[in-house]
Amino acid sequence: MRRLDLRATGRTAVRYRLLVLLVIVAIFGSITIVDFFSVDTLQSVLNRATVVGFLALGLTPVLIAGQIDLSIGSILSMAGITTIALQPVIGNVPAALAGLGVGVLIGAVNAAIVVVFKISSLVATLATLLIFASLALLLTDSQPVSSTDPIFGIPLTGDLLAVFTPRSALFVAAAILMFVWLRFTPSGRNLYAVGSNAAAAKSAGIRSNAYIVATFLISGLFAGAAGVLQSLSTATGSPVAGAVMLIPAITAVVIGGTRLEGGRGSSLATLGGVVALGALTMMFEFNGVPAYTQAIYTGVLLIVLITLDRLVSGDGRPTSRTLRRARVESPTPRGIQEEA
Amino acid sequence: MTIRRNIVVAASAAAALALALAGCSSGGGGAASADGDTGSVEGKEICYITAANSHPYVTPANEGAQAAADAAGVKLTIVSEEFSPQTGAEQLDSCVARGVDGILLWPLDDNSYLPGLLKAEQEGIPVVAIDTTTGEDSMALIESFVGADKYDQGKISAQQLEKALGGEGGIVIIAGQAGNGTEIARTGGFMDELEASGSKLEVLATVNADFDQQKALVASRDLLTKFGDQIKGVYAEDDTMAKGFQQALAESGLAITPFIVGINGEKGAFESIKAGTQYSTIIQPPFRNGELAIETLIAVMKGETVDEMVPLENTVVDAENVDDNEPAM
Repeated sequence: MRRLDLRATGRTAVRYRLLVLLVIVAIFGSITIVDFFSVDTLQSVLNRATVVGFLALGLTPVLIAGQIDLSIGSILSMAGITTIALQPVIGNVPAALAGLGVGVLIGAVNAAIVVVFKISSLVATLATLLIFASLALLLTDSQPVSSTDPIFGIPLTGDLLAVFTPRSALFVAAAILMFVWLRFTPSGRNLYAVGSNAAAAKSAGIRSNAYIVATFLISGLFAGAAGVLQSLSTATGSPVAGAVMLIPAITAVVIGGTRLEGGRGSSLATLGGVVALGALTMMFEFNGVPAYTQAIYTGVLLIVLITLDRLVSGDGRPTSRTLRRARVESPTPRGIQEEA
Repeated sequence: MTIRRNIVVAASAAAALALALAGCSSGGGGAASADGDTGSVEGKEICYITAANSHPYVTPANEGAQAAADAAGVKLTIVSEEFSPQTGAEQLDSCVARGVDGILLWPLDDNSYLPGLLKAEQEGIPVVAIDTTTGEDSMALIESFVGADKYDQGKISAQQLEKALGGEGGIVIIAGQAGNGTEIARTGGFMDELEASGSKLEVLATVNADFDQQKALVASRDLLTKFGDQIKGVYAEDDTMAKGFQQALAESGLAITPFIVGINGEKGAFESIKAGTQYSTIIQPPFRNGELAIETLIAVMKGETVDEMVPLENTVVDAENVDDNEPAM
């Protein structure tokens, strides 16, 4: 009995490990930095988390479906330069929409390579990462594109409801919407099935390929949004902006508990991962920890969190099949042990 | 990792002391009031958004900034953009949110910092730029720019050649990348100075060697073949290209010794000056750049008026003072 209790406590602590981490950051930050724990800090952390956040959110369904999208950084760059370059031609809002369109388009290319040519998503998106990173450089002659209307995007990082900025509010809203989709709609739940075992899902009547296509389109759209928001708020379309964004995005998703193997994950966990990483980065910065040392802490943290996750959830990761069994056995769907 | 409570206590003590000093020495003249001012920034916090943590030019600049901050008793928080202006823009945002007393910014492009600069302006936090200027809209929100005056380096180079040649003779210009900001300033300063001083130096040719030793070597071979002993002086817009010319000269076997002036204060140039194959170079010292930037920002924080541009002293190094100076990189 006692062992079981310990296990249960451990499970709870690990389930809310991101909250635990945030509390630790808040406490340690408050000790070492004056006025760290404040509304302004929270606003800044959320605002800074937005760009990586959109990338990480878009990546979440892709990983749940058992795929990966390495091209999100290049999509961000392409969407950013498209938005800024088209501003004087077609106007601010259409240019932003065009940026999103470029994201979806590259997502469609990824989907086509993976689904039609049956190439592993790791290879396919590695190729598109390279192609679109170079294309962004070619199109801009390696120079950042400056906006003709630098004032337009500035309100995106202004105050909104104390803790938010308009762009971080968009990010949080997107995370909540995605959570609702994944958790409460049949198509969202089917996605977990596709990620756990695509063949089984197929024989159960789920059109796996359609789901995989959808995740790449979503990933493209979200990476496009990241690029549009970043380029508008900095009034610059940089061809290399996305080059450094892939690793932080993957890190945030994985810290959130989404598994690279597929079948498990949650957008709220990704939100938590992004915010936790952002808060940690900011605490490091204001304690004067050099950027190259911060990466060591992040790496160690990643290993610790994932190991904890594995220890508590045991060897067998919950697949959609076990989840479904739980759903059948338990009278309420709330009994499902899903990340939140 | 300082526990800030102590600093706050120290700051209040320092502030009290400063007030007392100001009270005692109201008739004490310039020096005393300057001392009082120094006390008034003690314990304040500056956020320094630097280009990188680890880089041949940036690292010594960071060290200089730290040294100046320590000397003034100001707490300096250094955050690194790692050469990404997008990261820098976000860091600027956090620095403003932290409510620091001043911000030193290393801009990496023209527009990215605009939202953060507007926020800083709203909060009344002064911003000073180091090393590089940024877009016009952004510069309007920046109190001062502290960095090398590259136009002035061109002028100085003209004066050096004038002095070396005694005001007469043919010269060649080995310029940097065409259209590059540094190239424009260094060529412009040089030509303007020649014109302004009514110099009799004759520019035989101007070639672009892209700040690259190999390209300078190739271009110099052509120049030497074409002009030979007509070349009395060489203006290389940086020391690596000066090195390229020297290589070509050695290869050519020509028995001429033109005066070569370079820029940047590189280690190799120091050796050439000692060996007598290069006439002079100009140091733009990174450590001093960081120091001067923090000093300027502190002056702004004290409410003093500062110039829109605070140029870094350009130190000319030639055979006379080569042993007294350290190479800049």
